[in-house]
Amino acid sequence: MDRCASVLLAFPPRGDLTDNETYHKAASAHIHRLSKMLKEQSRELVAFSTELFNVLDPAVHSLSYLTILNALMFPSLPADIPQEFVLEKLVTFMMAFDGRQCRYAGLPLLETMEAVGSGRLLPPSVAVEALATAILKLDPSGTMLTSSHLLLASLAYNTDNIQPALPVIDKDIVFYPGMANHENAQYQCDPGLSSASYISRGTGLTKVLKSSMVLEYDLVCGMTYCARQEWDKARAAFERVVTFPTKDGGCSKIMVDGFKKWILVSLLSQGKHSTTPPYTTASTIKTLEVLGRNYVDLAAAFVTDDVQLFKLEADNQQQVWLEDGNAGLVKEVVASYQKWRVLSLQKIYTKISIAEIRLQTKSAETGAVLNKDEDVEALIQSMIIEGMLKGVIEKNDDGTKFLAFLSPTAHPSEQEFQRELKHTAAKLQELTPIFDATNLRLATSREFIKWAVKENKRDKSNDAQDPTLGFDAQIDDEDLMGGLPAN
Amino acid sequence: MASDQQNHLLAFFTAMENQGGVIVQDVPKLDLGLYIENYKGRSRFDRLLLIGQCSVPLCLDALKAAVIEAKQGKDVQRYRDAWECIRVAGPNEPEAQFDDAWVNATTKANKIFTHQLEAELKGYKNNLIKESIRIGHRDLGEHLESIGNLNGAADAYVKMRPDASTISHIVDVGRHIIGIMLQKRDWTGVLANVNKTMPPNMTAEEACHEQPYQKMVAGLAYLGSEKYAEAAKCFLETGDPKACKHYNDVASPNDVAIYGGLLALASMERDELQRKVLDNASFRNYLEREPQIRKAISMFVNCRYSACLEILERYRSDYLLDLYLQKHVSNIFSLIRKKCIVQYLAPFSCVTLDSMTAVFAKPGGSLETELISMIKSGALKARIDAIDKLLVMDSSDPRVAMQINALETIRSYEREALERVRRMSLAAADLEVRGTYRKGLGGGTGGAGGAGGLPGLGEILLDDGESGYGVEGLS
Repeated sequence: MDRCASVLLAFPPRGDLTDNETYHKAASAHIHRLSKMLKEQSRELVAFSTELFNVLDPAVHSLSYLTILNALMFPSLPADIPQEFVLEKLVTFMMAFDGRQCRYAGLPLLETMEAVGSGRLLPPSVAVEALATAILKLDPSGTMLTSSHLLLASLAYNTDNIQPALPVIDKDIVFYPGMANHENAQYQCDPGLSSASYISRGTGLTKVLKSSMVLEYDLVCGMTYCARQEWDKARAAFERVVTFPTKDGGCSKIMVDGFKKWILVSLLSQGKHSTTPPYTTASTIKTLEVLGRNYVDLAAAFVTDDVQLFKLEADNQQQVWLEDGNAGLVKEVVASYQKWRVLSLQKIYTKISIAEIRLQTKSAETGAVLNKDEDVEALIQSMIIEGMLKGVIEKNDDGTKFLAFLSPTAHPSEQEFQRELKHTAAKLQELTPIFDATNLRLATSREFIKWAVKENKRDKSNDAQDPTLGFDAQIDDEDLMGGLPAN
Repeated sequence: MASDQQNHLLAFFTAMENQGGVIVQDVPKLDLGLYIENYKGRSRFDRLLLIGQCSVPLCLDALKAAVIEAKQGKDVQRYRDAWECIRVAGPNEPEAQFDDAWVNATTKANKIFTHQLEAELKGYKNNLIKESIRIGHRDLGEHLESIGNLNGAADAYVKMRPDASTISHIVDVGRHIIGIMLQKRDWTGVLANVNKTMPPNMTAEEACHEQPYQKMVAGLAYLGSEKYAEAAKCFLETGDPKACKHYNDVASPNDVAIYGGLLALASMERDELQRKVLDNASFRNYLEREPQIRKAISMFVNCRYSACLEILERYRSDYLLDLYLQKHVSNIFSLIRKKCIVQYLAPFSCVTLDSMTAVFAKPGGSLETELISMIKSGALKARIDAIDKLLVMDSSDPRVAMQINALETIRSYEREALERVRRMSLAAADLEVRGTYRKGLGGGTGGAGGAGGLPGLGEILLDDGESGYGVEGLS
């Protein structure tokens, strides 16, 4: 056991490890020893696990700690050690490990995360939180999609433990495993490295993903936000599904599902079905619109004042909504119809009496006006509280209550504007590492270098040979103001 | 007898209304005889028939005149059309008796004359004399046009073109072709051909003579295609009324004044109206013929909007009886009205609805609904205060707009930048969804029922069935 302990405690060595190269060498050697030990002395590790755990700190000796956990958990939990003990250690590890060190952990870490993500070992609420923390420890920027993300999202959504998963799900994903020209960096431990450089199949920290899995991740994220009624975020997530890049007129079933939900959520968050962003593949959108015809029609009816038409669209297609699993969302849409009608009045009126609102807007649930002015007032109150509507209900001298819309261009004060501007500027700053990583990736790709070299050569030779080809370059040199005296 | 006649008229106009025609009940200000004297050519019959079909007070007079007009010509179909109308509207009139003898004789004569012209043309062609061939085609075309065979006439006119050698010939061809297109209401065709009636190498004198025709026709074509601003511009540039009178087979100088004035009112701002219409020396000659238009425009320029609208409204029934204007009257009038409202509000930041009603109220129509529709369509940048009965103009604060704009730009930049990087990464990772051009791939495995089997949608890629995620919504 002492021999084991000495090996396990050997990393990180005391002393200076700030240098990437030394760190890399030490960690690699340590991993090598650990895997050898796991293979040869697995039984010993299991037998002395309690003692070994006691001398190891998961935040310091993460790799060693993980090795013992691995020995305990795989292929199956040992019978002679209490399960709670192992699981407790597992959770401790997940919550505390050192992200930099574990970049070297590879497959064992992935297997551990998968075991947690399967939801069988730990209660779901604990599992979700542990996994989410682990993912962010490994990749604090959260910009890289891994197979663990997929597990986390589905576990959180299916077991309704959304809150703890949000720190991960809220992140903007911009990198994906298997990107070309992302050869592993020289030193994985380099703290300045973008997550895409050390999380890959090569380093064993994620599995290979397929396009359908990426789509599913975004779809599940969207549905997660739906469950929390965060329509804006849900819309953004579904939009990622809808605008997913396609080739050769391709389209996927998940995109169709996403498209339908995207329309419904757009109605809830923006009150209308907006056009897809310009980078969407045109042929795909055509296919989607054919398959999502019912939804497009519903959205078209949503923005009109014709409540009967909308109600008809919503009622007649009940079966479709049910089959697509969207009945709940449609119900929400129907319920919000009147709110959006009230909101549309602010384009026309500055002040309008409650009674007038009652007459002008109809509920899509009944297809008729509300019965009492009080109901309308309650509706408006709820809209104001939700922040959907900027206005106040006031009372006239003669007792008529009316809604006064605040100006839509109610401007922020200078301070607010400044603060907002600073905030967004800071957010833009945060994008820099992403740009840098992408720039680096693209600028060092073999094709680009080849092209750049060729382009360089061509420029020079052309100037001499064919004057017409270099026309663009020459026009700048031409003295367009020739007739005027130089000043 | 009188009530009998009334019933016939009623039946006639009910039928007309069912066909989607415009019915004008009011007595128009125009005198039918004087009005039709302004025109010549085939346009006369069209105008008479239109008035007969639309105006209740002038119905019988116009139809009778139309029958007479048709019988003076050679077009049998026109006679039949006019007779069909008068047969219903006034069966007791002498013109309601179908003149079989005339029809037979004319048809026969037409046929013979057509053959004769065709034979002559063949002769000219054999002789290879260009001028004769051109004349032959022209004669044939004119004859075919006069008997109502417009397509044949258009063919014949087009064949004149290869043999046209001088500028006046080319102009002649263009004018004939445009004449046919006007009758067929082929506005794009007119616009495509209109420049051919004014070749660039004309002398100034010739051009001056041609300009009225060219501008008038182009104006009509723009009017027909609802491009009011362009149309107004054309009519305002028509030029000398005396030369214009020469082309009264198309429109009379009075028409030019009405079209130009109304369209300018509908499409121009106040200073533009003053500059381009009222101060326009050549157009003033036209306006003198239609003083009410000049008055309406000067009312508008002087901000007396209700008076302007009132004048126009008085002449609405006249304009509704015009061959080219009829379809556009309501459109143009509502444009002018909207402009009046917008102009009226321009100097105010806040107006009481009562004062607006005093100026613009229409019998039977609520001003508020009109305002609402204008606000909805974006024509009016204002909002209604239904409590204090005010119309409040939207104040624009450029600084706020700039600030909001700036924030929005940054946000959208951030969003789009991230999205673009994401797409690059997806492409680099080779993760795009691929289409398979193989059809009939539909019945694959996996939970994706239905979509694959749809006809024509074989490209839908069935996603792998290995996923454990349920695709469920909120339900």
